[in-house]
Amino acid sequence: MADEALFQFLHNELIQYVYKSSEHGEMENGRCITKLENMGFRVGQGLIERFTRDTARFKDELDVMKFVCKDFWTCVFKKQIDNLRTNHQGIYVLQDNKFRLLTQLSAGKQYLEHAPKYLAFTCGLVRGGLANLGVKSIVTAEVSVMPACKFQVMIQKM
Amino acid sequence: MTVHNLYIFDRNGTCLHYSEWNRKKQAGISKEEEYKLMYGMLFSIRSFVSKMSPLDMKDGFLAFQTSRYKLHYYETPTGVKVVMNTDLGVPNCRDVLHQIYSTLYVEYIVKNPLCPLGETLQSELFNSRLESFIRALPFFSARAG
Repeated sequence: MADEALFQFLHNELIQYVYKSSEHGEMENGRCITKLENMGFRVGQGLIERFTRDTARFKDELDVMKFVCKDFWTCVFKKQIDNLRTNHQGIYVLQDNKFRLLTQLSAGKQYLEHAPKYLAFTCGLVRGGLANLGVKSIVTAEVSVMPACKFQVMIQKM
Repeated sequence: MTVHNLYIFDRNGTCLHYSEWNRKKQAGISKEEEYKLMYGMLFSIRSFVSKMSPLDMKDGFLAFQTSRYKLHYYETPTGVKVVMNTDLGVPNCRDVLHQIYSTLYVEYIVKNPLCPLGETLQSELFNSRLESFIRALPFFSARAG
């Protein structure tokens, strides 16, 4: 894998670009987040194809989530998810205490309002990965104290 | 043995950061004037050193010292200048300044998309990491030597 600084710089520029190319206005925030999430979705789909080339089929949904937390996260962010919680009814919470894309921003409350922009792409990444594994979901993220953040995955039953 | 203060300038002369730990005497002029004075002096000394050097210049201006303090200077190829005033007991600390640049400035400012380059540094993370780095230096002690 190439140097992670490359992806970080590119990701930062991507976010600046999406925000600059939209018209000015507070309503645009949601549209930009959606754009970033959709980009992440497509990337996640491709990445998961590559990473699961040689692995066996997954037994169930929980197995899929464990794969995302361990192998997928390690391949993309060089570390595992720190905590996985579920209510066994289709909601999973993935907690990362030191999210790689947020460590350089701040170590507490500064810049908190900008944090969601930097999580949108990763939400899409997770959603795309799960979609290609046959799991339809909605992924959201929240952050209260940087660099820790939580990704919430809601499985959509057909 | 102690560190008195630290300045970081960018290529255009803007003072990006200043902190002091043990400064007994102020310059008597406003902060902006002080930064301009420091930057102007560094600029002149660098060109003086390169012009008057009797041999081929390798690193150029490194440090100057007076009977009370020593000023250490480090410049990166991108024009970021790190200047540190310490007392006389401190040996050459070019690698310390280089570390400040690479592990603090690059990590927490360059990689932070919310910190525009060329403006005074606002990141609290950078400030706190810099504080702990300086305090952890072997030649730093809270009381002036």
